[in-house]
Amino acid sequence: MIARALAAAATLAVAAVLACAPAVAAQESGALPQGGSYVSAPDPTLGTASVGLWYRAPSDGYGSVSQPGLMRIAATAASSSKLVSGRSLSETVRDLGGRLYIEVFPDIVGVHAVVPAASARRVAAAMTAAYFAPSIDADALKNAQRDAAVLSVEQRYSPDETLHDLLFAQIFSGRPASVSPVPAGVPAITAIQLDAVTAFAKRAFRSSNALLVLTGNVDSSVLSGVTDGTGPGAMDQPVNSTLAGSPAPLTTATGAVTGLGLAWTGPPISDERSATALDFISDYLFRDDTGIVSRALESDDATFVDGQFVTLHDAGVMFVTISGKNTDAARKIVDAELTKMQTPLDAERFNAAREAFLYHLAGQTETPLEQGENLGWYSAEGNAAYAPFSSSGAYVQAARSLDPEFVASVARRYLSRPIVVQLGTVKPPKGSTS
Amino acid sequence: MPRPFVAALAAALCMLPAIARADAPPMGVQRAGNVTIVRQTDPAALLVGVEYVVPAGLDRQTLTQSGLSALTAESILRTPVAGVPLADAIAAKGGSVHWNVEANDVRFYVESLPEDAPAVTALFLSAVAKPDFSAATVDAARASVDRKFAARQQAALQVGLDMLAREASPSANSGSPELGSPASLAQLSANDAAAFYARNYRRDGSVVSAAGRVDALPAGWGESFANALPPGSGKAIFVHLPALEGSSRQFVTHRDIGAPWLIAQYPAPPIDSKDFGAMLVLSAFIQRTLLDVSGMPSVVSATIGSRAIGSIYSFDGQPPRLTLFVNGEIGNPTQAFETALQLVNVLSQTRLHGSIDQFKAAAAGDFAGDADRLESRASLGGLFAGEGASPDFLNRTLAAIAATTPDDVRRVAKKYLNDPAIALVLPRDNS
Repeated sequence: MIARALAAAATLAVAAVLACAPAVAAQESGALPQGGSYVSAPDPTLGTASVGLWYRAPSDGYGSVSQPGLMRIAATAASSSKLVSGRSLSETVRDLGGRLYIEVFPDIVGVHAVVPAASARRVAAAMTAAYFAPSIDADALKNAQRDAAVLSVEQRYSPDETLHDLLFAQIFSGRPASVSPVPAGVPAITAIQLDAVTAFAKRAFRSSNALLVLTGNVDSSVLSGVTDGTGPGAMDQPVNSTLAGSPAPLTTATGAVTGLGLAWTGPPISDERSATALDFISDYLFRDDTGIVSRALESDDATFVDGQFVTLHDAGVMFVTISGKNTDAARKIVDAELTKMQTPLDAERFNAAREAFLYHLAGQTETPLEQGENLGWYSAEGNAAYAPFSSSGAYVQAARSLDPEFVASVARRYLSRPIVVQLGTVKPPKGSTS
Repeated sequence: MPRPFVAALAAALCMLPAIARADAPPMGVQRAGNVTIVRQTDPAALLVGVEYVVPAGLDRQTLTQSGLSALTAESILRTPVAGVPLADAIAAKGGSVHWNVEANDVRFYVESLPEDAPAVTALFLSAVAKPDFSAATVDAARASVDRKFAARQQAALQVGLDMLAREASPSANSGSPELGSPASLAQLSANDAAAFYARNYRRDGSVVSAAGRVDALPAGWGESFANALPPGSGKAIFVHLPALEGSSRQFVTHRDIGAPWLIAQYPAPPIDSKDFGAMLVLSAFIQRTLLDVSGMPSVVSATIGSRAIGSIYSFDGQPPRLTLFVNGEIGNPTQAFETALQLVNVLSQTRLHGSIDQFKAAAAGDFAGDADRLESRASLGGLFAGEGASPDFLNRTLAAIAATTPDDVRRVAKKYLNDPAIALVLPRDNS
C-alpha cells in the first residue's frame, strides 16, 4: 500500500511538474473591476510587456459639426496629463524605459506602452488612470497640439498616408471615415478647444468603452493595477460610415508629394472568408520582397508600390498606392496582376502562396506590440475571435479554407473597378472631377 | 500518503519551473565537436527560427575579393532545390531564409511555421552542404547582391557606417563593405565563390542557435546543422594598410538625399567586458539627452524626431562601436551634433550627479525591446553563449545594467569616448 501510495504521489507530482512546465499560456478575457473588458495573451519568455487600451469612437467627434483630429488630440492630451503621482502617462512610460504609441483611425483608437516586463503593472495602473479618469488641462492640450503638428507635417510628406485619406474620402461620403484622423495643419489643430477635448475624452475614454490588451511577459498581477473606472456599461457599437453612392472613378488632388492611389470597397469583418481572401491577395501581390508586383519592380528602386486590405467593421477597403518615378509603368503591372487574380491560380502555385501567407501572418504578430495591436484592432472592429493572433484559430481556419476558385471569385466581385486618386501637380485629364 | 502532503509536494515541485520560467526561458547550450548549439524554447511563439553562423565573413576575403563572402552566401540561397532556388523553395513551404555578412562570419537565418520546420530545415541543410556554383546560379546571385547594394546606398546612415567600418577595423578586409560594390562583384567568378566555399565553409567555430517553437524542429536538428559542413576550419586573412596621414578623422561623401547626416563613432566594449552594462546606460543617457536638447520631446515615442537623432551601441560588432548620429531633417543638425560631441566630452570629465535610474531603465527597456523578435533572440543567444557561457542574454544584461553606478558611467565614458571618427553624408548639389 505504501509503495502504491508513493507511486500515486509521484505520479501526481510528475503530473504537476508537467502541468507547470513551459506550455502555451492560454489567452484570457474578462471584465475589468470598474467597467470595461480585457484580453491577455502572456508569453513569459519575453523581456517586455505591452499594455494597450482600445476604444470605438469617431475620430472627428460626436457632434454634428466635424472636428478633424479631435480624437488624436484628446488621446494624446490624456497621456500627457499629470496623474496623482505628478507624472503623466507619457512621462511614466519614459521613466520606466518604455515607449508609448498612439494610433488613431477614423473609427477606433489604440494606445500602447511597451515596457520592461517588471513595469507592466505600474503602467497598466497609470494608463487606466489617465484614460478612465482623464484630467486634461491647457498644458496637456498644448503638448498634444504640438505632437499633432509634427504628425501633420509627417503625413503631408507621406504619399501612402495622404493617398489613404484621399481614397477614404472618395469611398465614404459619411463621417468619420471621410475625414482624416490627423488634423490638417496648424489652423485645424488650434481650432480644437480644451472644453471639446475634455468632453470627448470623458465620453470616448470611459472604462465601459475600453478594451485593455495585455501581451508579452504579463501575468494576473498586472490586472490588479487597474483600480480606476467609470462603472459597468456596454462598449459602444462599432462606428460605421456611409459609403458614397457613386464615387467619381478618377479624382485629382494636389499635395506636397505625388502618387497614385487605387481603392475598392471590400467585405465587412463579419464575412471572414472573403476578408481573408483579400488579405491573401494583398500578401501574394504586394508584400515587400516576395509579392508578385514587388518582385516585378525589384530592379526599379525609385518606384514604390504598397497594397493592403484594411479590415473594418463595415465595409473593408482594399488599397494600392504607387509613388516615385515610374507610376504609370507600375500601374500597368498592378492592373495586369489584379486582372490575373480573377482567374484561379494553379493548385501548386496557390498552395505555396497560401503557406507563405500563413507564415507571413505569424511573422506579423511576433512582438508584444504587434500582438496587442492585432487583438485590439479586431476587437474594436467588432470581431475579436477573428483576430489572427486570437487563440480561437478562426483566422487560420479561414485562411486554410481558401481555394483558388474562391479567391478568384472574391477578386472578380470586389476588385474590378477601382476608385482612383491622382496626387500631385499633374494637370487633370478631361472628364475627371477635382 | 495523506492528500495534503501530495498537494504540497506537487505545489513545491510546481514552484521550481515557475520561478525558472519567470527568470529564464527554457534554454540550453551544448557542444558538438567545435560547434556550439543553443536552444531557447518559447511555447507561445508562432514560429521557429534558427541562426546558423559560419566563420566565413569579410576577414576570409582579400581586398580584391570584396563582396565574395556575400556572393557565396547568396549563391547558396539561389541554389536550385527541387527545381527552384532555395529561398523560393523555402518560401513555398511557409518559411524564409536570409543572410548577413559580418566582419568574422556569415549568419544565415532560417524561419518557418512549426509544422513546416522539418521540411524547411532539410531544404536549407541540403543547399548549404552542397551548393550550386554554376555560372547561372552565381550570376543570379551577383544580380541580387547588386540590388541589395543599390538599396543600401539609399540609406545615408548605413553609408556613413560603412565608411567608418574600414577606419575602425584592425584588418582592412574585415572593415570592407559587406556587399562589396558592383565593380568588385563583377570581377568575381563562379570559381571564386566555389573556392571561397571550399576553403571557409567548415564546421569548426560555427554556432547554431534556435529560438521559438524549438520542439517543432526534427529530432537531432542541432547535430544535423553541426555536421552539415566538412570538419576543420578556414583561416582568416590579415590585411594591413598604412594608417591615413593627417590630423582629421573625418570622412565625407555625397548621396541623393534631402538633408545631411552627421555620424560620430567611438570604440566600445564587447559583451563579456565589465564595461558592457555601463556602456548600455551611457548610450541610453546620450540618446535621451540628445532628444531633449534638440527640442524633440514628444508625447509618443516614434516620431520623425526620435528617428533623426540618437545613439547605437553595436556590442555584437567586430570591433564593437558606439555611434552617434544626427539627421539634418530636424532643425539645426550642426548644433545638435556639436551638442552630442560636447555631451560626450563632459561625460568623460564629470561624474553624473543624482540618480541614474531613469537611464538604467531606458537601457533595460531598449535592450529588451530590441530582443523581442525571434531572429534577435536566436542571434543574441548565440552571441552570449560564446565560449560556453550562458545564453541567457536578457538576465545577464539586465544584471549588468542594474549593477551600473554613476562612477562606472564616468569611467567608461573616459575610457572609450575619445577622438571620434566622423562621417558626413551630404546631399549632392542637385538633390
